[in-house]
Amino acid sequence: MEETNFYQEYEVFSKKSVKAPIQHQFSLLAPNEEMALSMALENFMRREDVLDVWVVKRENIRRMTSEERTNWTKRLDNKDYRKTKGYGYLRQKWKEKEQGMLDEKEIMSWKEVKKK
Amino acid sequence: MYNYLEYGSSDAPRNHEDPEQYDRFMARIEAGEKIEADDWMPDDYRQGLIKLISMHGISEIMGALPEKEWVPKAPTLKRKLGIMAKVQDEMGHGQLLLRVAEDLMKPYGKTRKDLIENLLSGDLKFHNVFHMPTKTWADAGMVGWLVDGAAIISQTNMLDASYGPYQRALQRICQEEVFHAQHGEAIIMALAEGSDHQREILQESLNRWWPSLLMFFGPASADTTGSSKQDIMIKYKIRKSNNEELRQAFLDKYLPRVFSLGLTVPDETVHYDEEQGQWVYQQPDWDEFKQIIKNKGPRSKERLRLRQIAYENNSWVRQALSKEVVGS
Repeated sequence: MEETNFYQEYEVFSKKSVKAPIQHQFSLLAPNEEMALSMALENFMRREDVLDVWVVKRENIRRMTSEERTNWTKRLDNKDYRKTKGYGYLRQKWKEKEQGMLDEKEIMSWKEVKKK
Repeated sequence: MYNYLEYGSSDAPRNHEDPEQYDRFMARIEAGEKIEADDWMPDDYRQGLIKLISMHGISEIMGALPEKEWVPKAPTLKRKLGIMAKVQDEMGHGQLLLRVAEDLMKPYGKTRKDLIENLLSGDLKFHNVFHMPTKTWADAGMVGWLVDGAAIISQTNMLDASYGPYQRALQRICQEEVFHAQHGEAIIMALAEGSDHQREILQESLNRWWPSLLMFFGPASADTTGSSKQDIMIKYKIRKSNNEELRQAFLDKYLPRVFSLGLTVPDETVHYDEEQGQWVYQQPDWDEFKQIIKNKGPRSKERLRLRQIAYENNSWVRQALSKEVVGS
């Protein structure tokens, strides 16, 4: 292989804990994926807590183009109907009926139910 | 780190730029948005960043090479581990930064190979401090404390840089530099509180490094070396302050510490002028600086030779690794 084609671009992702989402770290150049993984550990995980590391060849990622990003972020308003914010008036309604609002905080706390 | 740019002239032809695109670009950076590698950017922004970041990246590596020479000579196992970790960080910083530069160079069809070859041919410069010799273990401390201290001043000034990939690389780099600074301080503190001989080598080291530390930030104006890109980098919100402001910030932060250790600097005129609100100091020899950055410094040739030997000796590794790994 020509030395000019030697390096491939890889994007590096890692996961800090079981609860953490996978996080993009940075990119690196490596001749193959084994080297990419080994270099990812050397370059990005020298001190960090880490449970898992992914390397993905950049050419295999279909990311947004610059134009797509611009257009996408432009339409990210007026989405209240998709969010709890659009239903916030219910809090007052339930209050009138002497009931609490089952909001995100409340619902996410329902991990345990009473043992019968 | 190494944000001083010695050549300001643009060597690539400027594309015909659409004023509307330019205005949109300026509005984005004025609004604090980050520019990404595939976003439209003016040519002088791209070229300024390539020069800045390739020099920054290659300087990390050129700095790590002489620094690693101290690993076998470190006085204790703890110091050996500390300096080894620092050398590894510097190589890591070099790799991060070269990636940022490479993505910017892509439209010109240039790759890492071009960067290394440009370094060896003298077209790509490395920072003036890495052209200087080191003599004693005190130098290892001085590099960690004051050279990295100066680097921290320049790099933190760019933590809000308008170019996203560089800005993100700098967050990581600056966090690790905090460790480097404290590693340097630990060496300095031990020597400063040590024997007469230890204090002597520390003072002698500072005396030698003083001019290089003043030169670190580059001359105050382009008049000294003919050109400078500091203004354009400020306009494009890559850095916030000019060379002299950064040098003053360095003196503000570090000179009181230098004096508190009972050390002196080899300039009897150094003092803080309350009226001007700045440090007054004797200018270093800027003609010498011009020679240094043309790779005519005391150790320029040796450092480049070291890099060249590494590049040639390791070419078989690149060849061997370029084959696909055989599955087990």
